[in-house]
Amino acid sequence: MRIVLQELKKILNWKIGLLLVLANAILYFLLISYHIEHFPNGRPALDSYRIGIEMVEKYGVSMSEGEKADFKETYEQRLKDADEYIQSRVDFSSVGIHSYQDFQDINYENQEQAELRNKVVFEENVDLFWELQERERLIEFQNENDIIMANEMERGSSQQVATLEEIKATGNYYIYPELVFYNYKDFIVNVAIAIIVSVVLLLSPVFIRDRSLRLVDLQYTTRVGRNIFKRKMIAGLLAMFMVITALLAIYFSIYSLNNTGMFFSSPINSFIGGFHWYDITFFQYIVLTVLAIYFLGFVFALLAMIFSNLMPNFVALVGIQIPFIIAMIGPGISYLIYQITALDLSQWLVPSGYVLIIVIGSMFMLFVWRRERTLDIVH
Amino acid sequence: MLVVNNVSKNYGDFTALKNINLEFGSGVYGLLAPNGAGKTTLIKMLVTLISPSKGEILYNGTDITSLDEEYREVLGFLPQQFGYYKHYSPKSYLMYLAALKGIEKKVAQEKITELLDKVALSDVANKKMRKFSGGMIQRVGIAQALLNDPKIVILDEPTAGLDPKERARFRQLLTELSRDRLIIISTHIVSDIESIANEMVMIKNQELLYKDSVENICNTLDGAVYETTITNDELASFRANHVLLSEKQEQSKMLVRFVHKGESKEDWTVKNPHLEDVFLYEYRDDLSLGV
Repeated sequence: MRIVLQELKKILNWKIGLLLVLANAILYFLLISYHIEHFPNGRPALDSYRIGIEMVEKYGVSMSEGEKADFKETYEQRLKDADEYIQSRVDFSSVGIHSYQDFQDINYENQEQAELRNKVVFEENVDLFWELQERERLIEFQNENDIIMANEMERGSSQQVATLEEIKATGNYYIYPELVFYNYKDFIVNVAIAIIVSVVLLLSPVFIRDRSLRLVDLQYTTRVGRNIFKRKMIAGLLAMFMVITALLAIYFSIYSLNNTGMFFSSPINSFIGGFHWYDITFFQYIVLTVLAIYFLGFVFALLAMIFSNLMPNFVALVGIQIPFIIAMIGPGISYLIYQITALDLSQWLVPSGYVLIIVIGSMFMLFVWRRERTLDIVH
Repeated sequence: MLVVNNVSKNYGDFTALKNINLEFGSGVYGLLAPNGAGKTTLIKMLVTLISPSKGEILYNGTDITSLDEEYREVLGFLPQQFGYYKHYSPKSYLMYLAALKGIEKKVAQEKITELLDKVALSDVANKKMRKFSGGMIQRVGIAQALLNDPKIVILDEPTAGLDPKERARFRQLLTELSRDRLIIISTHIVSDIESIANEMVMIKNQELLYKDSVENICNTLDGAVYETTITNDELASFRANHVLLSEKQEQSKMLVRFVHKGESKEDWTVKNPHLEDVFLYEYRDDLSLGV
């Protein structure tokens, strides 16, 4: 344990700390900040967010037929408010708009009408018009979710259809605004990238540094001998776990600024935009993606340490890891995080992907350990 | 104690060591050969960094590979070049190595204080090693080799970077340590071990040349080492016909020390051979001496 702690101390030094702060600051501004600073991103995203909160507060995490009717009634009421608002303004009547219906049927070739519409919607930002637009979109999805389900079932495999049947039986799908869910997905994918890069930066020096400093001759001739390889691996994985936990704590503290806690109990299938294999809540989905990040961190930690052991110098070490990181940031993350529960993919694709990369990483590590046990330390 | 049994080491077609047989008991052994003769290969095999291609190395009758940590537990090793963390102090560096050597923290702390005192680094025990001279670093290296109170101490070029005073202190330290221990010192500097080694091991062309006492090895050139004075003009032809061991300017003439097997001339004075003479004679090709 003392050796592991000593190795851990070597890994978690202030220089690496500084490097991680710098790398994460850059990646935060490049990839993550947008999903925090611009949430909800303009209109009608803001209205979608507000209506979503109203729906959860008023109806809970699922909506009965009566509650859907109530939602439509609210829309009708807001429609009347819009009519009254339009009738209260002379500029509307002067261009021939006397109701919300007239406002929607506006003739864009009529310059006066078009200018007034732009003024009210984009300059004055009258909430009512944005809100109605979003309510209409939500009602449209609620009205058509059966058609969406039927279409999905038509092209689904038997396994997908069976899951869709279960979702259909709940009646709770394609109902709630998807803004919060997709914002989280975009956020967590970029957090995963930042964490993978951090893990690689953290653990790449583990073996190569001692080798380039010519410490191996001393380490391998002490009592622990070549078993220091295993101690370093353990220390590396502990450091990975600590850094991922710290980064997740920081990023989730930042994410809390988006104020999405009210949706945590919502089933992910209740959001518009897609179906999922698992009947889990938004919070459970968050936990799942966090676990996925730990698994990815584990695999990249293994790879970083393996390459650190095999590569002759830092340049080669960086060179060999770039394709792996690019592959992960590109298609890898898309499948393994973004679409982790997506019904569009075969149910076993994502779990098999994780098993595969973990098995490959572990086997690769075993191979390197076996090689290290008998390797001639010539230089 | 330690037996090298018919050991060879090949790297593909290249032979680094050929059929080496050696037996080491307690005492100081000098491993003497010029650079590239296979010294470091032998040392690295003795400390388990390299495995023999053929043969075996036994410690108290058991193969050192199968003894594994039991062997390394009694081993102290100073490599020719060794690494250290510049931002570590000698104390923290030795604590790290003590952990690798499986020494308890408390025991290690006491031992480190004692050893730093022995290598005269107590004053800088807590200073970062970044600004240490080569000699100071080498002394830290010597201290780490002795941390676990080893029964076998193997030192590869231990005096590199040490000044004459430090060399003298080092020799004194080795003499103190040599009781009940096996100490193997690899070097190409004859004077470092000539006076303290019980036996010398010399390797030539990847094979064992001598394993004997200094006296016996010197005797191989008994009656063949001479000194004479020649003019500067004669030097070139003298070099071409004899194995020159040293040349020294004396007034307007040259005092030469050389090896000659056969009949001597009148003005040649026969000298007692030193280890350095044998070294220079045996490795004359490797050292590019004129013959």
